Amino acid sequence: MIKLENVYKSFDHLEVLKNINLTVQKGEVVCIIGPSGSGKSTLLRSLNQLERITSGSVYIDNELVDERSNNKDISKISSKKISEVCSELGMVFQRFNLFPHMTVLENVMLSPMKIKKLSKQESMERALKLLHKVGLTDKKDEYPSKLSGGQQQRVAIARALAMEPKIMLFDEPTSALDPELVCEVLDVMKGLAKEGMTMLVVTHEMGFAREVADRVIFMDNGEILETDRPENIFNNPGHMRTKEFLSRIL
Amino acid sequence: MDERMVRVIGILIDSFFPLLKAGLMFTVPLTIISFFLGMIVAFTVAIIRVSNFKPLLAIVKFYVWIIRGTPLLVQLFIIFYGLPSIGLTLDAFVSAVIGFTLSVGAYGSETIRAAILSVPKGQWEAAHALGLSKSQTLLYIIIPQAIKVAIPPMANSFISLVKDTSLAAAITFTELFQVAQQITARTYEPLWLYIEAGSIYLIFCSVLTILQSRLEIKFGKSGD
Repeated sequence: MIKLENVYKSFDHLEVLKNINLTVQKGEVVCIIGPSGSGKSTLLRSLNQLERITSGSVYIDNELVDERSNNKDISKISSKKISEVCSELGMVFQRFNLFPHMTVLENVMLSPMKIKKLSKQESMERALKLLHKVGLTDKKDEYPSKLSGGQQQRVAIARALAMEPKIMLFDEPTSALDPELVCEVLDVMKGLAKEGMTMLVVTHEMGFAREVADRVIFMDNGEILETDRPENIFNNPGHMRTKEFLSRIL
Repeated sequence: MDERMVRVIGILIDSFFPLLKAGLMFTVPLTIISFFLGMIVAFTVAIIRVSNFKPLLAIVKFYVWIIRGTPLLVQLFIIFYGLPSIGLTLDAFVSAVIGFTLSVGAYGSETIRAAILSVPKGQWEAAHALGLSKSQTLLYIIIPQAIKVAIPPMANSFISLVKDTSLAAAITFTELFQVAQQITARTYEPLWLYIEAGSIYLIFCSVLTILQSRLEIKFGKSGD
């Protein structure tokens, strides 16, 4: 579903991704862990081109979506094609980024109506189904500012799902939440994983990674240092840096 | 002294309706038309600037630079008295509308641009991640939020435009202030007549201020 080949990314002279090679299979749940500033979020954001890579290739659903060398676009893929492929990627942000001028229902209905060109009726049915799934049917007419962080994040998940993505990207989805609200968001994510959604999750929730992930990737300084099954990473890390990181965080 | 007072009061009463009529028939339409057209210019310029549309960027920057850097009165004189010498003769009303439109457009574009830039980056990112195009993002996500930010300063410039239209008197347009000048020339009571003219502007602006706060309450109610 996702394949990255020799991906590099630098901001000015700072290299934030170095030689990233990564494949994610259909239905796989992959968690990316590592210290802050290790390039986890940048990696995720380069998949839907919120960040442009400096060199390397990105494939989504077996289609090349970005290929660069020395910051030059050598793939020449049309921006229409790119947004088409990117709409197969749903993304959930740390800070929710709900649209504050729209109600919960309107937030979820927007992209099916405007991009998939569904009728208002169809979009609303789809949105209500998704709000039911994340347990927020009763909040459908509220504005986001009236919701708790956990509720907002669940709406954000419903909004991303409304495009029927094949892959869901989560960028530290619980890091901005009060501790008692983390669970309700993780529960929704677990539900998605059970349904067989392909998921790539940047997280500091080690319990979630251990329980749900098929694979855990440890990143440090822009590199993937280790990738393995969660029980191996957590019980018997192969790399010194992984061991250090886990001993600090657990 | 008493006789003088009676005379002044008589003049004020006689001139009130001509002044009010000039205000309602000329000042108000001039203000509304110029503001409406100016907002279209302002929006277009702001969108060109935030979307970094290269071919037009230099032109709109030049336009804003010229308009903001020269006095409005000078611009009006160039349009009305200057352009005829290159064969372009415009009547006073059209000249005034053009002058005020360009002015509202230039200042307004900066306000709208700032309002658009005040919408958090996360909103653009969320829209991109959903697959919305840049123009859809502007239309459905960014502009509705920017408008809320832009309303108080734009209402301010509208109120200020009501008063600025008095400059049109200098290019012979018979709006409120021009009529006050005419009556003064006849009656030799500048103090009282200009106070009366000022009071009518004050009434117009007070009504607008009330409307402005209603508008802000209306647009302020949704979201945060």
